Amino acid sequence: MENTTIVETHSLTKRYGSGVLAVNSVDMSVRRGEVYGFLGPNGAGKTTTLRMLVGLIRPTSGTATVAGHTPGSPAGLARIGSLIEGPGFYPYLSGRENLKVVADLASVNRKRVDEVLDMVDMTSRAGRKFGTYSTGMKMRLGVAAAILKDPELLILDEPTNGLDPQGMAEMRKLIRDIGQGDRTVLLSSHLLGEVEQICDRVGVISNGTLVKQSTVEDLIGQKGVVVKAEPADRAGEMLTRMFGPAAVSREDGFFHLKTDPSASLEINRQLMGAGIAVSELRPFERSLEEVFFQLTGDKQGS
Amino acid sequence: MIATIKSEWRKNRFRPAFLIGSGLTAAITLLFYSVSWYQATHPGSAESAVSILTLYPSNFVSNAMGAGFPLGAALAIVLGALLAGSDYSWGTLKTVLTQGPGRLTTWTGRVIVFMAWMAILALVMFAVGAGYSVTIAATQNHAIVWPAATVIVKGLGTIWLLLAAFGSVGLALGVLIKQSAAALGVGLVYLLAVEIIAVRFIDGLNNGAYKWIGDLFIGQNATALTQNFAGRTVTSSISAEQAVLVLAAYIVGLFIVAGGLQRVRDVT
Repeated sequence: MENTTIVETHSLTKRYGSGVLAVNSVDMSVRRGEVYGFLGPNGAGKTTTLRMLVGLIRPTSGTATVAGHTPGSPAGLARIGSLIEGPGFYPYLSGRENLKVVADLASVNRKRVDEVLDMVDMTSRAGRKFGTYSTGMKMRLGVAAAILKDPELLILDEPTNGLDPQGMAEMRKLIRDIGQGDRTVLLSSHLLGEVEQICDRVGVISNGTLVKQSTVEDLIGQKGVVVKAEPADRAGEMLTRMFGPAAVSREDGFFHLKTDPSASLEINRQLMGAGIAVSELRPFERSLEEVFFQLTGDKQGS
Repeated sequence: MIATIKSEWRKNRFRPAFLIGSGLTAAITLLFYSVSWYQATHPGSAESAVSILTLYPSNFVSNAMGAGFPLGAALAIVLGALLAGSDYSWGTLKTVLTQGPGRLTTWTGRVIVFMAWMAILALVMFAVGAGYSVTIAATQNHAIVWPAATVIVKGLGTIWLLLAAFGSVGLALGVLIKQSAAALGVGLVYLLAVEIIAVRFIDGLNNGAYKWIGDLFIGQNATALTQNFAGRTVTSSISAEQAVLVLAAYIVGLFIVAGGLQRVRDVT
């Protein structure tokens, strides 16, 4: 039976010199076929971790298996496409020539170059020198190089960095398209909305430590309903009778109910039937942003 | 290995630095010949008289050698530093090292292509020198007599060895310093100043007791090799055979050191 995990790390650690602990004992697992979001603030250790996964950096301790191989081994790299910390290409060569350089290195048929240029919508601009490209075009070429090998695992490190909102939206669509089918995508980002929109599962890293790894739904937690009603005391009694004391909390005049938002109709009917006026009734869902700030210990907006 | 060489060649065949380097090599050779021709036809314009006979095709190998060191060597250092150092500043090293071939394979492929470029520069130097010497002979109505084929081949090999050795210094500095500008600066300062001062100091120590150390410096051996070639005035005590061995040792040693560094170092 084929292993369902494509990336697995155990106590992966990177310490620079005797001081900076960039990555601290990370246990991470990415399943085949999923889009995995690697989330963390700038300087949290995302890029260092990804560099270790592709063999650019050697870990101080711990182990990692990527696509069934040790990071950096030729057999493993043949199955991985990556874009780490921005695209790196030769400025005096055209986009197409740069991809041919990569294709030669990776022993990929050069016909594939035109295919991937088409996939990232760069065919018409492939003849221009890389040095003249905009940030968005450079990123697209970087993604094209990463998928040149038609890899099982695609590692993208902050692929929307430096893009304008339209470029970010286009890049997200491109990543979603690439991530369809059997391919696994490991995407690092500090943009929560991006991860929420694209990813199946996420790992949150803070100060070099992986503080959470789960599905986006699990991370956001149970959905609920927010109610504001008068008189509040009677409303509280009724809601407690309906859902139990553990499911009801009150904050700033609002009742927070741990229940499925589909119960809203029944809540409204019961309260109205008891002569309680409902002024607000809406579903409640924590955003990934709130969870992220809670997990990383950062204050929103600080 | 073949994949790496193909990729490196594709990357470097139209690289502006190498194309400009080839042009500069041709220009250096032209300049060398032009100055010598002027001095030969204008007695008193040079400290020592230059005979027009030395500029005919029979002597073109020796003259091309004069263009090869130290100017060609300086160019080789610059090209080596640019080739190795720019991969760090452009962020292309991570692209190269994540494609599949191992780090040592990648490094070996790079050095092979660089050495091929040094051979091209040597050929340019010889072709321009030969062409110019024919022009001079034609204007003087002098018969065109070429040197023996063995002399031409030995000369080409010698020029290539010089360029390869000094280019290896540039390559190693590019890897060591992880950028091109500082690497080529250090390389040129070494070639044009540091070695000269160091050798002068070592040779003067204890009545020349440590001269053997000075004789191991790369520039001293390059000088000895060019002087030993084709009957030039020899001032160096280093034999041609020793110079060839020492320069070859520099190429191999620097290849191993820089390759080792690239293999073990993190790419950040």
